[in-house]
Amino acid sequence: MSTAVSKRSVAAASAQGQSRPRPPSPKVPPYLGLAFLALVAFGLFCWTWEGDAVLFFPLGDVVLWAPRDPLIGLIIMVMALLICFKLRISPMGAFGGLALIAITYWAGSNIHFIDRIAEVPGRLTGGNTRQQLLGYFNPDWSYLFLHNVAGTSRPIWGEWLITLCMAVVATIIGCFIGLLLAMLASPVSSLNKGTSQTIKAINSVVRSIPDVAWALLFAAFIGGTAYGLGALAAVLALIMFNIGIVAKLLSESIDAIQPGPLEAADAAGANLIQRDRVAVLPAVMPSFISYSLYVFELNIRASAALGVVGVAGIGGELSRQIGRMSQGYENVGAILWALVFVVLLVDLLSLWIRRKLL
Amino acid sequence: MIKFENVDVVYPNGYKGLSDISLEINQGEFVAIIGLSGAGKSTLIRAVNGLVPYTNGTLTVGETVVDPKNKSKLRKLRSKVGMIFQQFNNVGRISVLNNVLIGRSAFTPTWRSLIGWYGSQDKEVAFQSLERVGIVEKAYNRAAALSGGQQQRVAIARVLAQDPEVILADEPVASLDPPTARKVLGDLRTIQRDLGITCVVNMHHLDLARDYADRIIGMRNGEVVFDGPTQEATDSVIAEVYQRPLSADEIRQARGDGRLGEHIENPTEADLTQAVPAVEDGIERKDTV
Ligand SMILES: Nc1ncnc2c1ncn2[C@@H]1O[C@H](COP(=O)(O)OP(=O)(O)OP(=O)(O)O)[C@@H](O)[C@H]1O
Ligand SMILES: [Mg+2]
Repeated sequence: MSTAVSKRSVAAASAQGQSRPRPPSPKVPPYLGLAFLALVAFGLFCWTWEGDAVLFFPLGDVVLWAPRDPLIGLIIMVMALLICFKLRISPMGAFGGLALIAITYWAGSNIHFIDRIAEVPGRLTGGNTRQQLLGYFNPDWSYLFLHNVAGTSRPIWGEWLITLCMAVVATIIGCFIGLLLAMLASPVSSLNKGTSQTIKAINSVVRSIPDVAWALLFAAFIGGTAYGLGALAAVLALIMFNIGIVAKLLSESIDAIQPGPLEAADAAGANLIQRDRVAVLPAVMPSFISYSLYVFELNIRASAALGVVGVAGIGGELSRQIGRMSQGYENVGAILWALVFVVLLVDLLSLWIRRKLL
Repeated sequence: MIKFENVDVVYPNGYKGLSDISLEINQGEFVAIIGLSGAGKSTLIRAVNGLVPYTNGTLTVGETVVDPKNKSKLRKLRSKVGMIFQQFNNVGRISVLNNVLIGRSAFTPTWRSLIGWYGSQDKEVAFQSLERVGIVEKAYNRAAALSGGQQQRVAIARVLAQDPEVILADEPVASLDPPTARKVLGDLRTIQRDLGITCVVNMHHLDLARDYADRIIGMRNGEVVFDGPTQEATDSVIAEVYQRPLSADEIRQARGDGRLGEHIENPTEADLTQAVPAVEDGIERKDTV
């Protein structure tokens, strides 16, 4: 392959007798050190390994052997080092790669990842997997559309409506509170440093409690579905979940806005609320809408998981049907397929809204 | 109107931005501040409305002493001191009219700002301001969709909506092309004269300063080194404002150290002959319309 450019540049280079600079090649001693580290890691792997499979290497008279998994780890590490050396990667970079491999090996071996994954094909072919799959792929749509929730006169599809309503209410309230907290959390728009730090700390706590835990808490405090309060418990849980997400993401967006318009509002004598309203809010509005739509989508999905702790909506029905799976998988299949469908629909809707608004 | 009495500004990192400034700017004057980059022009202008707190001395605007610590007094002061910036600092996503209404903030109840429901009086003021700068037909356009010159006009309208007694402008035309810069500055000058507003403007372009200002203040290293009517700001005086730090900088770069004090005090013959042509170049550079 020779293009006009390559011809010309070859000519130019040879005419001036210039050679191109080559990347500096890494020194050997650090790499020997890394190889030693790999050996140390290998020793560690062998020491902590609980399996007993062994690989043999007949080398003429002697036969070398090594435990199987640690040896595979060692081979991968040595190969990676060789490749790094060949690519002239600095010893520090190679060390990073080595560490990554070692940590991955160690973490995987702690949960017996390789062993377990090897069992998967056997599990799939044996047992009732075939039946389950058949159930999932032949969902019972009449159950979804025509039947009532067991023991009540509420239709199943009504549970979907409840789920959607919960998601809407939680998104609107949660995102609004999240917006206020984000304003207070960012030093750019907050009253002072102290307020911003405090709100940030509170927000970390809110975020560190997962949505299912919030649902358990609220169900315990105010009562779950058994008392007719399941939807409320779920909405409150989703609100806390949404506040955490929106306050975090939005306060970071606020941190990053252009300081100029803020200064202009200050110079015009605006007070803090006016400044945040006229200069901060318009600047973060696109992010806010984007995050809110995303949170709405999360809420639909999360409400399915929240059912497990006995709150209202389709999640509750799903967990009831899972408990009754020995009688057939068609019902669970129908709910799961409908979930996929609804989430896709919400995704399309939010895509459309985003395109219209932004 | 604006009175500096031995004003110092020391930045939080210990850098002395202004040292011992004493100045008096009169009602209705149009003052241009010139000086090299880093001379302290922005610091001076921002001290007036408290965006940069001064640390020593007394700074008075009208009858009010600027008190950087008292936020509500500062807001009150800022309501009658408008500020224009090099980067316009409009809120790009909202309409031109709403940008101008930001200038009414100090006169609008907070709840009105919060729900964006401004009184008809405020709107009237905003429209009049837009009419003055000649872009009233853009009132409902998004501010970000305007050209640089138009955006700076929006910023001027925002300041006019404050009904200011003083306008501070920090390099208002530095981001504009020369003909537009002249138009915008000309508008500002006319409005200032019509309404009797005191105007303090930072400028990099000497020719613009000479053409539009009543009075020129030259700064260097946080001090005022020249202060007089525009006619007195002759080439040699301007060279004086610019010259020494320029040559000292050059020498520092060549030497690679920071000791430029002695050179400021005792310029050598070489400094003078080197520096002056560079300055004259700057003066030569007239706008081509
Ligand atoms: N926030 C700050 N903290 C510390 N030092 C600062 C700060 N702002 C400005 N300075 C210093 O104060 C000096 C004067 O800055 P100033 O912005 O007033 O210069 P200027 O004359 O406006 O320059 P330019 O023409 O480039 O705008 C500079 O040396 C600058 O480094
Ligand atoms: Mg400046």
